[in-house]
Amino acid sequence: MDRRIAVGILVALFVGALALVGIEFANGAADAGALAVRDPCEPRSAFPGQGLDATLQRLVLDGLDGAACELGATREELVLSLSPRSKPDIGWDDEAIERALRAGLLGAIDDAEQRGSLNAIVAALLRQFAERAPVQWLIDGGQGIAGLFD
Amino acid sequence: MSVRSLIVAAIAVAVAVAFADSSIVVLALPELYGTFDTSIEGVAWVITSYNLMLAVAALLLVFVVHRVRANVLLAGGALVFLGGSIACAFANSIGFLIGARSVQGLGGALLLAGSLPVLAALVGSSARGVAIWTAAGTFGAGMGPALGGILTQAFDWRAIFVAQAPVAGLALLGATGAHVHATLEEGWTSGLRRTTPANAALALVSGALVGALFLGVVLVIDVFGLPPIAGAAVVSAIPVATLLARPVATALPVPLAVGAGTLLLSAGLIGLAFLPSSQLAYTVGSFALCGFGLGLSVPGLSHAVLGGDGIGRKATFTVGVRHLGLVLALAVVAPVLTGDLFEAAEVAELNATAVIVDGEIPATTKVPLALDIRDTIDRVPEGEIPDFTAVFDEHGSTTDATVRAVHDELVAAIEEAVTRGFRSSFLFCAVLAALALIPVAAFRRRLE
Repeated sequence: MDRRIAVGILVALFVGALALVGIEFANGAADAGALAVRDPCEPRSAFPGQGLDATLQRLVLDGLDGAACELGATREELVLSLSPRSKPDIGWDDEAIERALRAGLLGAIDDAEQRGSLNAIVAALLRQFAERAPVQWLIDGGQGIAGLFD
Repeated sequence: MSVRSLIVAAIAVAVAVAFADSSIVVLALPELYGTFDTSIEGVAWVITSYNLMLAVAALLLVFVVHRVRANVLLAGGALVFLGGSIACAFANSIGFLIGARSVQGLGGALLLAGSLPVLAALVGSSARGVAIWTAAGTFGAGMGPALGGILTQAFDWRAIFVAQAPVAGLALLGATGAHVHATLEEGWTSGLRRTTPANAALALVSGALVGALFLGVVLVIDVFGLPPIAGAAVVSAIPVATLLARPVATALPVPLAVGAGTLLLSAGLIGLAFLPSSQLAYTVGSFALCGFGLGLSVPGLSHAVLGGDGIGRKATFTVGVRHLGLVLALAVVAPVLTGDLFEAAEVAELNATAVIVDGEIPATTKVPLALDIRDTIDRVPEGEIPDFTAVFDEHGSTTDATVRAVHDELVAAIEEAVTRGFRSSFLFCAVLAALALIPVAAFRRRLE
């Protein structure tokens, strides 16, 4: 092989290497796989959709955000801590988590009522539910709650 | 083809296999893990034991090889390698397999120590012998994982070792049939000391190759979930590029080829460190750069090491140094990777939870799906990435595009987090490749 051709191939390989790494960064390599959970104390876009299912999910997600914010954890850490089998150490006991969860849900119901997403009767029923239902029932029974309103 | 040419070919193939054996079982690690009730560390020793024994044995042989005829060394090495390969194929416990791999490593050291003088004597020229030995070794080092993956997928992990037995047997026949006078004559000479810069660069390049030949392969198989034969196809970009680099390397001045090779190897490893997703184009491109780097740098460095008199002892020394570089890099990378993957698993769990919680699917699907995912994760052995396909299928991913989208997003979140866990280790290997430039630049006149 002629030396000039070899040098040309070498230059092409280096250009290709730069292009590869450049394309990788352009496609999000810097942040790929990084922790992608958001600060629960900061407002975030509401869960999309209409109807009761979406409304209830918005309530629960806002409630989880409120509870996580109060506990100084992320929403995801809080959700994982609710599972008896996978408990990340978020520095709070079960009682504190339950208290924060109920407070978060009540705050979310208040907000939804003020926005006009819930009427007063449904909001009152949900408040009773949030204040009295066992926490594990709140989690495992999500399916049933949504089913009640289908 | 003459008998002599056949003997040369048999010995060259044995040299390639002895180098390939450093990484040949990497694609079979999941199968080994499943066959033997063992730990990740136990499986890792199947790789380390071969390389460690080969490095130690080769470095010790440097002091005694001149007392033994090269033909005897080659025949003895082929015989021990043959025995080790058969023992590996019939291993019934991880301890036995590690022991048999150590025997293979000892055989590999003897075989590689004796092979170069015999090849040189057979082809009638040290330069041609070095060219054949270097080409076989470079290609063998690159093809290890792909060869192992093909054999594992087509047959079984044991096939890797069954296939090596006839190769060693033919080398044994070649060594006994080659009626040539080949010796490893000289002692520790100034000529050997002059090879130190090139050997240092080879050790660093070998350490860097841990990134491509070990970490890259583990990433493709264990994280991207490719079956061994598909993984072998992806990894084959390395030996293919190594072959393509050969004419380029011979047309360039050695210092330029070696310097460019180390930089391309480093660039390929940086490419692997910053994979934005599991799309194989990025991985194949990065592997190809590593292969070009290997093909450009190793032959030039090997020629610099093996030039002049006393090729037998120099070959033995460089084999030891190369494998020592590999073992030391493995020793650094293994704990770094373990720690990083532990953190990556926590990130993956949180990111996956965010995907499920935010998933735009009805609560009537979301809650039972989340509970089933939790059960799936609980059932998967520690260190393995769960397969959620069946769970999502049960909840309608085959018919509901929104559920399928959540599945895809969940898998991507986990794969990306775990892939990021490899980043520091790949970058460490990239630094090793870049560091090889220092002895290359400082002693470039010795490479010419």
